[in-house]
Amino acid sequence: MADGATRAPSAVATAAAAGPAQETVRTPRTDPPAGPAAAAARRRGISWRQRLEIAVLVAPALVLMVVFVAWPVLRAVQWSFFTWKGYGPLVDFVGLANYVSILTNDVFHGAVRHNLFVVVASIVLQLPLGLAIALLLNRPMYGQGVLRTIVFVPYVLAEVIAGVVWFQLLQPRYGVIDAWLERFGLSGPAQGWLGTPELALYAVMIVLTWKYLGMAVILMLAGLQGIPHDVTEAAEIDGASWWQTQWRITIPLLGPTMRTWAFLSMIGSLQLFDMVWILTRGGPANATTTMATFLLTEGQRRANYGIASAASVVLFVIALVMALTYQRFILSRDNTVDSPRRGKR
Amino acid sequence: MTATTLPGTRVRRRARRDAKSRNPLLYVAALVVVALSLGPVLVGVIGGFRTNAQLAEDPAGLPDPWVLDNYLNVITGAEFWRYALNSTAIALITTGLVVLLGVMAAYPLARYRFRGREALFTIFVMGLLFPATVAIIPLFIIVTRDLGLGNTWWGVALPQAAFALPLTVVILRPFLAAIPTEIEEAALLDGASRLGFFWRILLPLSGPGMVTVGVLAFVTSWNNYMLPLLLLQDRMRTLPLGVADFSSEHAADIAGVYAFTTLAMIPALVFFLAMQKRIVNGLQGAVKG
Amino acid sequence: MLLTACGSDAGGNGGSSDGDGVTITWWHNSNNEPGLGYYQQVAEDFMADNPGVTIEISAMQHEDMGTKLDAAMQSGDMPDIFMERGGGEMADKIDAGLIRDLTDDAAETIEKLGGSVAGWTLDGRTYALPFSIGVVGFWYNTALFEEAGITDTPTTMDELFETIDALKAAGIDPISVGAGEGWPAAHYWYYFALRECSEEALNTAVSSLQFDDPCFIRAGEALEELIAAEPFNPGFLSTPAQAGATSASGLLATGKVAMELAGHWEPGVMQGLTDDGQGLGENTGWFPFPTTPTGEGDPTAALGGGDAWALSGDAPDEALEFIEYLLSDKVQQGFAENDMGLPTNPAAVDSISDPALAGLLEVRDSAPYVQLYLDTAFGQAVGGAMNDEIALLFAGQATAQDVVDAIEQAAGTAG
Repeated sequence: MADGATRAPSAVATAAAAGPAQETVRTPRTDPPAGPAAAAARRRGISWRQRLEIAVLVAPALVLMVVFVAWPVLRAVQWSFFTWKGYGPLVDFVGLANYVSILTNDVFHGAVRHNLFVVVASIVLQLPLGLAIALLLNRPMYGQGVLRTIVFVPYVLAEVIAGVVWFQLLQPRYGVIDAWLERFGLSGPAQGWLGTPELALYAVMIVLTWKYLGMAVILMLAGLQGIPHDVTEAAEIDGASWWQTQWRITIPLLGPTMRTWAFLSMIGSLQLFDMVWILTRGGPANATTTMATFLLTEGQRRANYGIASAASVVLFVIALVMALTYQRFILSRDNTVDSPRRGKR
Repeated sequence: MTATTLPGTRVRRRARRDAKSRNPLLYVAALVVVALSLGPVLVGVIGGFRTNAQLAEDPAGLPDPWVLDNYLNVITGAEFWRYALNSTAIALITTGLVVLLGVMAAYPLARYRFRGREALFTIFVMGLLFPATVAIIPLFIIVTRDLGLGNTWWGVALPQAAFALPLTVVILRPFLAAIPTEIEEAALLDGASRLGFFWRILLPLSGPGMVTVGVLAFVTSWNNYMLPLLLLQDRMRTLPLGVADFSSEHAADIAGVYAFTTLAMIPALVFFLAMQKRIVNGLQGAVKG
Repeated sequence: MLLTACGSDAGGNGGSSDGDGVTITWWHNSNNEPGLGYYQQVAEDFMADNPGVTIEISAMQHEDMGTKLDAAMQSGDMPDIFMERGGGEMADKIDAGLIRDLTDDAAETIEKLGGSVAGWTLDGRTYALPFSIGVVGFWYNTALFEEAGITDTPTTMDELFETIDALKAAGIDPISVGAGEGWPAAHYWYYFALRECSEEALNTAVSSLQFDDPCFIRAGEALEELIAAEPFNPGFLSTPAQAGATSASGLLATGKVAMELAGHWEPGVMQGLTDDGQGLGENTGWFPFPTTPTGEGDPTAALGGGDAWALSGDAPDEALEFIEYLLSDKVQQGFAENDMGLPTNPAAVDSISDPALAGLLEVRDSAPYVQLYLDTAFGQAVGGAMNDEIALLFAGQATAQDVVDAIEQAAGTAG
């Protein structure tokens, strides 16, 4: 937990990432956050009634997650210690052999590298683009509503639909993109964008950027909604240009929103599956495998469920380590709101 | 509102705020964004108005002449509507579950103080780290064999909701926390219970946050492919399965595939369009403290 | 008929002894016309003759069916009737008790099908009834061959290289291959192994998963030589096998390439990929895989495989009756008339209308032996690793030795 001085402003903006920030001027906090319940809790612990309320409110969500998330995952962990073809009894215990197998597997190493590339490239590409588009959409202009809707179109599309269309676009020679290049006297790569091992990952990355940029925009826009007009307008009245206002005031206030988005983007990139599966199935020549396509190939196509499960555990551990690191060094500054806050006045 | 403004400047600022920009560069930038966002989609939409012969001759051309047959074939067939119904039902059940259970769980995490609260929250955050792909086979076994929900709307909606809950709680928690304490104090002073406060005041106030998580859950459900593929058959299939099926059954009919995919994306887009306005309005008209 | 329907002691899946409610689930992959409608009709005919029996059909796209079948086997909730390709995959299912032994119950049909059932027989027991067995070879576009001035189809690798050069000189892409999906590329390696290796060497390798014989390295080298001649369509590394106009089959069907190595399914697939539903129509041609100069294999041996109807371990007897009905003279003749495959029932052989398929049937029936697709023969784990390594060889990222090593390594880990 950060100290109050750094927490107060970031907490506001984190809330702004998803919701209203009605506080226009932040008063320094004079006392620890205290709702009536909090005060009561400090005095005599929480009552049985409150415990019951908490249990009733949280239990349905927890039950759902235990049944449909935790339990299947635990089963996967169990399978990872066996050689299992997917049917019949689970008898062939092999200890850590499946883990040794994937950790010494070049294809899996490649998959981890590709995931890390996507993590970094997503942030490098989508953060500035998403921010720029959100700032653009936040300016009063004609057709703003239509514009906002259009920007979200790729994000709303199903991966299957977007994948089918992009697959057609990227076809060598007979695809739309190559047809356009030909009109300008250029030609695409001989093996096609998705068929050239050196290019395929970049081609996939471009499609991913197109598809998921809307997520960055929507979060940043929500964050921008929470930045009070008064603050930016005051700066403009003081003679700051639009650019100066964005650079000095808006973007710093968006910091927590950006960090939250980057966290979600990172997790999504590590779990990347659908679009790659539709576009390349991890090919050509394993140039676009991800950890998720690797484990699905092992599981569904080769019936090595033990190895696939071990890969899923490794994927989870990598995601966990990266998430905890991120939490520790970056998100901790924001410290997602931990208690009700007093309004101003 | 802030007390730092003089009446004169306030009027001027209002005018400034509402003025539409006339900077042409802004509109050029907007056009570029529109072209890049919509370009690939338009290839599909326009391709649906062409014949296969036209598509084969010049993949990047415009319809000449425009033909409606591809679209008419899709919307006059019963399959498309059945898939759309299934997609809608599953997405609505998922969304309902996510919003209801999400806001219930986020409420104590945001506004109660109790030991283990952060640990409880961490459990939800950890849920973010599990992709459904990882556990898809055990999940399938649980849904079909243990719960007997194979090939039903609920069998898809329940796991989808479970996987959507972590993000929902992560988003809603700060949202609920941001609602000023004064409102809560006033309500409690007026004799409302905390649950009463939750139902009658907090829920209506957190509408925009719930719309946000609801839209995310709806879109995710609408687009889901892997889970419905494993769980649903025949008449129960959803639109993404229909798209995949249609594009393999009618592999030669690229124009038909374009028409089918175009129509399949419309409902989600319309829903999003309607909700997008509400998100924006809701966010702008948020409670004044 | 009514009596047998009533007298069932269906082991599972809603079987009932009153004859008023046996539901049979049937999964197949003929999700295109004419197969889709034909099977629907066949099921309705059967239900009309057998009151009380309901057949629930799920026609699925081939890959989706594989995914769903895997999941179904894991959950134990299997369809009563499903498609089985034999080999190592079937052996695994037998071990797990997921597949019903048909040896005694369907003895009559098995006898009628004769040697065809060999691929679905293990230790003298037969587990499925094959309804279509085909062989792989080159399908080609006779018009494009003519355009390039090619009069005779190639019978040796040297002639194949001349054919490739002639097509290239005429500005035609010679061959399409769906290397994006692995197995279409792998078929080349299988065939080179079939040509390079003696039947004995091949059999030893299939049963022991030891590839010491140098003929397997020579097979990989022959393939490398072919790839070096650059005969394949642009983008072949990511080309799908059969989905869409830009798939390997689509390119052949629309006249974009001159030939493709594929099985008996190809005319049917191509029909689905052209607007007029004709595929290559009268321009369809077929020739067997060429021989290699150093080959020790029989030059007329063929690579092939087939599909069979299998029953889940607890399928009711009505399901057995139904698959026997599917193999009856009448249904197999209709199957042949619709060109849905190469029938296994001898009574249906003359019903094939497509001349190319009829020619293929002759090749099949005159081959000294038909080697089952190696990936099917080895089972999923080894077969998948092998196919992936061969795809890498197509990309220039693996050598002939690497392919052999990958198979042996996967076989070792798969136990």
